[in-house]
Amino acid sequence: MKRLKEFMKSPKTTMIAFGLAIALLLFSSIGGTRAALTYFSETYASRVQMSNIGVTLLEKSDKDEKAREVSKRDYSDSSNGTWSENTGKLLEGMLGDGEELKPGKKYNEELSVQNTGDIDQYVRVSIYKYWVEGNKEDGEEAEKIRNLDPGLIELNLVNTSDQGGEWLVDGDASTKERTVLYYSRLLPAGSTTTPFTDTLKINNIIASKVTQEVTEKDGYKTIKTTYDYDGVQFCIEANVDAVQDHNAEDAIWSAWGRRVTVNDGILSLN
Amino acid sequence: MKKKHIFLAVLAVSLIMTVSVGSAWAYFTTYVEAQGGYTLSLGDETTIEENFSSWMKSLVITSEADSKPVYVRARAFSGDLYPVTYSDGEVFNQENPAVEDDQERGVWTPKADGYYYYSKILYGGGKTNELQVKIENVPQDVTEKEFNVVVVYETTPVQYKEDGTPYGVDEINWNAAELEVDRVEGGGR
Repeated sequence: MKRLKEFMKSPKTTMIAFGLAIALLLFSSIGGTRAALTYFSETYASRVQMSNIGVTLLEKSDKDEKAREVSKRDYSDSSNGTWSENTGKLLEGMLGDGEELKPGKKYNEELSVQNTGDIDQYVRVSIYKYWVEGNKEDGEEAEKIRNLDPGLIELNLVNTSDQGGEWLVDGDASTKERTVLYYSRLLPAGSTTTPFTDTLKINNIIASKVTQEVTEKDGYKTIKTTYDYDGVQFCIEANVDAVQDHNAEDAIWSAWGRRVTVNDGILSLN
Repeated sequence: MKKKHIFLAVLAVSLIMTVSVGSAWAYFTTYVEAQGGYTLSLGDETTIEENFSSWMKSLVITSEADSKPVYVRARAFSGDLYPVTYSDGEVFNQENPAVEDDQERGVWTPKADGYYYYSKILYGGGKTNELQVKIENVPQDVTEKEFNVVVVYETTPVQYKEDGTPYGVDEINWNAAELEVDRVEGGGR
């Protein structure tokens, strides 16, 4: 107790206490300064440009004067970070009112992709062709018919690399039912790819795929023919994937599971 | 006990490290999809009307209302002793109910294979003009009841070109393997 009293009375103690008081005073002003900076920094944060990715599938049929939007999905930071999306239907403009589908006729079916985001991107398209049970009500699920040939749904590819175009066909991932295409060029924001299809035709051969039943009555022999493709519906499906251009090789491997090489903005399949 | 502590420590460090993995794998991606299609309607049903009198058989082929368009050809068999001659009969011009007044008359035209080919497409609900088959050289002692003429007619679905126009009747190769031909035989007397 005696030592404590001596310590408290010593000049050193007084100096130390004074020093501490000054230090505390200084630190308290730093806190105020930081608070002021925080206030202003919020104003600056609102000016930061966010990266929004977006992609749209475009279609031009016989009825359309120019390509129209079918489906889109854009990220929008201006609406609280939500997706602005719309899923439409393909082939709606293929037939006129009351017009019946004519096997063998080539219908205009031009499909392309637009970058509707504000960052550059790489694009992949997967096309599926198949037959399902026909004449189903809206909302009623139609089952896929697997013993009918999807090769008779002829969606003609254009601008592929073997035609000197930009679309690469991924042969390893493609089958009679599925075709996978990669756009080999970087697609800048706001730009549209070259079309990857131009026409759709149902092969005439469907009229020769039949099952026959022969009956005889009163000296007449009648052959009843049932068409295998009668009453079935053909279906075209297009899935479009887009990924950021930054660190594209790793991004594509991570997002799509495909090894690619990107040199000077040109994508090639490994 | 000591091992357990080391294990828990390693686990804690691992968990802290994996927190950053999620952000390292995040890339900007998006996707869209769309689909569409139409139901096919194929098939046709045709019938033949035959009238036989005065050694002449008159044939008219009719297509059911919901049938798809077809090409038609026909021929008659009566044996070598009694040759037949063909001619166009009554004109109906009702091949296509959608067209009120057909501009040109449908006729039956022979080809080297012995068949007579109808020159127009037969649409659902329509009927051909009449084809008359006259039996020649019939002896006096043969009656119509004893006589037998067999008529065969065939139809095949209309084929379309890539521009959507149908192939003409003359452009169809009836013997092509990919062409489905419905054959109907019969026609007693």
